[in-house]
Formats: sequence, structure tokens, C-alpha cells
Amino acid sequence: MYVMFLLSILLVLGFVSISSKPSPIYGGVGLIVSGAVGCGIIMGFGGSFMGLMVFLIYLGGMLVVFGYTTAMATEEYPETWGSNVVIWGVVLLGVGMELFMVTWMVEYGGFGVGDVFGGVENWMIFESKEGGVIREDSLGVASLYNKASWFAAIAGWSLFISVLIVIEIIR
Amino acid sequence: MPSISTNIILAFITALLGMLIFRSHLMSSLLCLEGMMLSMFILSTLTILSLHFTTSFMMPILLLVFAACEAAVGLALLVTVSNTYGLDYIQNLNLLQC
Repeated sequence: MYVMFLLSILLVLGFVSISSKPSPIYGGVGLIVSGAVGCGIIMGFGGSFMGLMVFLIYLGGMLVVFGYTTAMATEEYPETWGSNVVIWGVVLLGVGMELFMVTWMVEYGGFGVGDVFGGVENWMIFESKEGGVIREDSLGVASLYNKASWFAAIAGWSLFISVLIVIEIIR
Repeated sequence: MPSISTNIILAFITALLGMLIFRSHLMSSLLCLEGMMLSMFILSTLTILSLHFTTSFMMPILLLVFAACEAAVGLALLVTVSNTYGLDYIQNLNLLQC
């Protein structure tokens, strides 16, 4: 029933597996798993376009680059999560922290502060006279090209400049 | 919803601690930085989906754009270190000697 809560617990456990600093190739595996779980959380809330962005841009673009760089600069015997006592300790500490937090949430149902992320409805942006099927997340991202076109141009320009910067750094 | 956002903030803090505490590889800290960006993306997308602030959906996309830029620069620096020393160990960054 609390599927989203379980998925967010899996997200934290995935991040613990990255933060325990095994060899970078295993950290990349943990980040892929965390990205997939995060995509599931976002799609459970109804943002299918944003989940697709996570898979395409984040996992398929940025992590592939990380994977290639890791394959270039890796060592002969990479250490995984079970090979070093330090990594074991950090993983157990992270799992223990998450268990403590889950027990607190189940028992007390909150942390004493107000509901900061409560639902406050707002009107959607309608620009046409007829109705139809409108997905609010795709519509919101599409407004980047209409209402914030200058920001889109700045973002594209900064991406281009960062490519030139990367070429200059590794000259 | 508050329990889910608490978990995502915990994930952000975990990745932040992982980035600040070095072990042997520079690449692990860059991966933790990417984890921080992922958790910020998820948290902002869930908040905007719950509050129905439709035009604010461009913010996570632009966050992803600039996270890609900084990941590229970080990887370029790592490749420079790796070209000089063969591996990206933190102990190789010892020019300052203090």
C-alpha cells in the first residue's frame, strides 16, 4: 500500500551504496539502480515525462559518460561492497540510519513540524479555447521554449561553452 | 508525502557526506555529486507535481542541464589527473604539500 514510501527507502539504500565508496564502477551500478527507483517514484506521482527525462538524459547521457571514463581510469582489482571492512561498516551504518528513520515514521507518523509539502492547487496554463488531454509536466517543460526562450538559449550556449572548456582542460 | 520527502532529503544528505569524505578515488566523489543532483531533481519534481505549479517544470530540466555541464568539467579534470598519474587516486593530488 505504501509503495511510494518503500520506493523512497530503496532510493536511500541505493544512495548509501554509492556513498560507501566502493570502486567507481560499482558506484555507477548503484547510481543506475537509484536512478531507476527515482524514475519509478516520479512516475508513481504522475510525472511520466520527467521519469523519461531521468532515464534518457540522466542515465542514458550522463552516466554513460561516467561509465566510459571509469573504464578508462580504473584499477586492476576493484573493491566491491563485500571486500573491505570499511565499506561494510558504512553500508551497515546507512542501513541502520534508514531503519531508525522508518521506525520513527511508523511509530510517530511525523517529525513534529507542519505539513510543508501539502497540496495547494493552482490553475493550469490554458492557451486554447477547446479542451483535450493535457499532461502538465510536458506542458510545463514545453513552456521553456515559449515563456523562457531566452533561458533556453542561455542553457544551450552554456552547454556549448562547457564543451570548449572541456577541450581546453584536457589539451 | 512528508515521509517521502524526508527520505529524499536523507538521500541528499547521504550523497553529500559521501562527496565530502574521501577514500581513494576522485571518481567516487563525482558520482556522489551526481547522486546529489539526482535527489534534487526527484525532490523538486515531486514537489512541483504535488503543488501543480505547471510552469515550474522547467526548473528540474535546467537543473539537469547545468548538472551535465559540471559533470563534464569534473570528468575533464579527472581525465587530466589520470593522464598525468595513470589513476585518479586522491593521494596523487599532492602538489600543494600542506
